[in-house]
Amino acid sequence: MNDSGQLYTIEGVAAAIMMVITAYLVISSASIFTPQEKHVAQMQLEQLGHDALVVMDTPRENGMQSYLAEFISSYNATGFNQTYYTLVNQRTDGTFDTLKYNVTYYYWDGNDIKSEVLVPEDYYRENAVKVTQWAYVDSLDKVVLVEVLLWRD
Amino acid sequence: MARLNDSGQWIVMMGFIVSIAIFLLALVVAESAIVGKTTSESVLEFPKTDIQDLRSELMEMRWDKIETSEYQYDIVNLSLERKSSVIWYQPDLTGEVPVINIHYNNGITEYNEVYAEYF
Repeated sequence: MNDSGQLYTIEGVAAAIMMVITAYLVISSASIFTPQEKHVAQMQLEQLGHDALVVMDTPRENGMQSYLAEFISSYNATGFNQTYYTLVNQRTDGTFDTLKYNVTYYYWDGNDIKSEVLVPEDYYRENAVKVTQWAYVDSLDKVVLVEVLLWRD
Repeated sequence: MARLNDSGQWIVMMGFIVSIAIFLLALVVAESAIVGKTTSESVLEFPKTDIQDLRSELMEMRWDKIETSEYQYDIVNLSLERKSSVIWYQPDLTGEVPVINIHYNNGITEYNEVYAEYF
């Protein structure tokens, strides 16, 4: 039996496997998202948190306060949680994500910056982002800065 | 006299070609990781949302609150203290075309706008 072609065949198969694996690696990592890079996750978290705040800061109708301004006006942490938690944590399959946050708002009282915690949540140095939003609050008659510290638990 | 056996030359050459191809493809892989890093870093650094939020708040205040200096102090002081950015705005609504000058600077990015209302 003439088996002198076997070595070429083995070498060809080995090369083919290597090229397929390499092509797979290149194609799967050529998109912008590289899972090993925490900056990307952080960027997405910041965008998500800010978008949710923008949704809440949109006035419901002409002349009406936004939900965000209303919840701060009436110091309504429960209302804030119901809206914001759902916005940031809802997944497409109906289950909930594991994002946590605490909310503080800051205002200028004429001499100094004062802060008020709206939603407390213990933070243990997880990889967090800070998102902010301006809001005019009726009860204070001031423009306040709402800061949300957002992290994945 | 025994003849030189050169049947292995093909295998060696194919080995070289394949390894060079893998090396070149590995360069592309390494490049793609850097793309994700630098893109997200510049997105995080650029204060896009800060400027958008400032503009949207000013547009919301446009009809009744923008000329009140108390609200201006609120925004200027809070952004200086909490966001390390210098904000100034100057409305001039008396002219034929109402104008709002908006200035934003956080040390890295500077943004200036003359917002004019043409209805």
